[in-house]
Formats: sequence, structure tokens, C-alpha cells
Amino acid sequence: MDIFTLAVWILTGGLLLFFFQKDKRRTKDALKKAFFMGKGMAASIFAVIFAIGLLLAILPPATIASFIGKQNETLAMIAAAGFGTITLIPAFIAFPLIGTLRSAGVGIMPSVAFLTTLTMVGVVTFPLEKREFGRKFAITRNLLSFVFALVIAFVMGVVL
Amino acid sequence: MNNRMVLWMKHNIFLECILGIYAVIFFSYPKIGIQAIYNSGYYIKEMLMIMPVIFILTALLDSFVPKEMILRTLGKEAKLKGVFFSFLLGSISAGPIYAAFPICTMLHKKGATIRNLIIIISSWAVVKIPMLINEAKFLGLKFMLVRWGLTILSILLFSFLAGLIVKDDDLPREKEEQKIGVTINRTACMGCTVCTKKYPELFEMDGKKARVKEVKEVEMERLLETISSCPVKAIDNAVSSIQNTTVYIDQ
Repeated sequence: MDIFTLAVWILTGGLLLFFFQKDKRRTKDALKKAFFMGKGMAASIFAVIFAIGLLLAILPPATIASFIGKQNETLAMIAAAGFGTITLIPAFIAFPLIGTLRSAGVGIMPSVAFLTTLTMVGVVTFPLEKREFGRKFAITRNLLSFVFALVIAFVMGVVL
Repeated sequence: MNNRMVLWMKHNIFLECILGIYAVIFFSYPKIGIQAIYNSGYYIKEMLMIMPVIFILTALLDSFVPKEMILRTLGKEAKLKGVFFSFLLGSISAGPIYAAFPICTMLHKKGATIRNLIIIISSWAVVKIPMLINEAKFLGLKFMLVRWGLTILSILLFSFLAGLIVKDDDLPREKEEQKIGVTINRTACMGCTVCTKKYPELFEMDGKKARVKEVKEVEMERLLETISSCPVKAIDNAVSSIQNTTVYIDQ
């Protein structure tokens, strides 16, 4: 186990002990909640993981990296942002996936663009957002988020 | 029980499709199949190491940070404090982005600005504390810090822009469905009685499952609090009924 994971486990363990002393029932409720959150998502998580595993077997990361590397960088970034907009991958699977692609040589701009639009812009949740806040709000928020995801990606490409 | 099976199968069509493709691949290209399993194994291992703590941490933050206080402040105040509390509320809350929608509607009714609504939704989506640790693990501390800083700056900026473009009148007025839209997903309910204890005027036990009582008025704040405290997320508030079709919870 690497240092980050270990740190989170220790931190969480400490917090659990602390809260358990403070409020037994609420801590138990929280644990229950965590368990059912995981249970509810388990099937879809495994589906996504197996899909990614298969995709990477057919298209090895190195192939993807060299393909993206041959494209215009700005275009690759926009395409990655678009891809992040339409796909639904839980963030905690997206991070190791992008980690794999990064170490295979995929550039920083497409990676960041994908990660940011993945969570902030949503085609799937758009109808719901529109119903709740109206068309103008939903369009404005999603468009601005998309544009700023590109800005973030661009700046990170320059800085790092 | 059989019924439950069918429901489960319906909700997990994607997983079944993937397994089907695997069967075909193994039959025709066993080498690729083995490589695919090997790849998946890596991600499963990584996921199992970090996911349980992320869930626990998220649930702890969600249950123990005094949200009522934040909600109250946000309703009245707009300035800097409002911006800060909006970020705070978004970063500590559990659940997918659409879980933020009903809370935001409620806050807007209480006087929260469009700008703050945008901040809450956006930070709900990206600025998750447990997720930041995960990002640092796989992409490096520097990567995470820079992306995080830039994201917060961006949210500050574009929420301001959105506030100029979108006016309060652009948001739909009171919706009736909020009063009558409460339902309980009886396959998910495990009869823990949390809701009947938190909001006995609205929920009652019907055998081993909870049931919604017939009432004329619902206190939104209490309802939302009860919804979020349901350990299996079995209470639907009409607006969150998409939950069954949206399969992933983006943290």
C-alpha cells in the first residue's frame, strides 16, 4: 500500500474512533450509509472496470498514447473534453485510468480536460437540471463549465 | 425474490452486456480475454484499496458536519461568507451531482443567489475532499494541487459570469410535484426506521418497510434531511427519480 492510501486509512480510522466516542448511533448510521452506498454502486463499478480492462486489452495504453500524440494537441484536448462530457465513469476509477494513460505518454491537456468535464458537465443529468432550474440556467452552467474545463486543461499544460 | 432478480437484471444491463462481450472474446480471442481480465484485476485491486475508506469518509463528513447551520447562513447572506459556505457545502456533501439539485432549489427559495447555486453544484461535482486524496495518489500531489486550485478559481469566475447571465426570474417557480412527489423504493428499503424516527409526520412503518403518509404539506428542509439520512437512499423526491436510470454515482 502506498503512502496516500495508508494515510487515508489511518485518518479515517482515527475519525471513526473519535466520532464513535462522541455519538455511537450516528457513527453507526454513517457506516451503514457508507456500506449501502458501496453496495448500490458495486455492479456498475465492476461493469465499468471490466469495460475499461477490455478496452485496454484491445487498445493498449501505448497505442492510445501514440494515437493521441499524433493529433493536434488542442483538438485532442477538445475531443477528450467531449468524451468526458458524455461518459459516466466514477471519479475513483477515472483517476487510476488516467494515471495509466499518463504514464503511457498521453499529454497533460487531454487528461485534465477529460477529468474535469467528467464530473462537472453532464449530458445525462442535463434534463434533470433543466427541469429543476430552467433551460437558461442549465445551458449556462454546462457551457461555462465546459469552456473553463478547457481553460484549466490549457493552463495546466503550460504550467506543468 | 424472483421479482427482485428481474429488477436487478434490469438495472444492470450494462454489466450483463459487458459479461456477454467477454464470453464472445474468450471464445474467439482468448489472448485478448486474458489480457482484459488481467487489466481489470489491476483496477479492481486499486479500487478495493481506496474505495471503502472513501465511502466511509464521505458518509462521516455528510453526517457530522452541521449542515443546518450552513443552510441557514446561505439563505440569508450573499457576500463573501455565502461564497465560502457554498464551497464548503458542495465539498463535504455526499452523493452524485443531481443530489445537489433539490437542495439548491430549496436554498434559492430562501434567498440564495444564482451565483451561490452554481458554486454549490460545481464544487459538489469536483471539489470532493476524499477524491482529492485519490487524485493525488494516482496523478501526483502537484497535479492534484494545481488542478484543484485552478478549478476553484474557475468556479469563482464562471459562477460570477453565470450570475450576470441568468436572472432569478429564469428559474421555474414553485413546483407542485415537490409536495406530492415523495415515494419509497420498496425493494431498496430495509426497514431501518430512520425515516420514521426523523420525520414521523410523513413516514410510517408498514410491516418491514417504510411508507409515505398522506399529508398536505411537506417541510422541505426536514424531508431533505431525512432523504439524506436514509442509509439505502430509498426515498425518492420525484426530482431524484432519475436515480434508477443513472447508474453511477460520480463522487
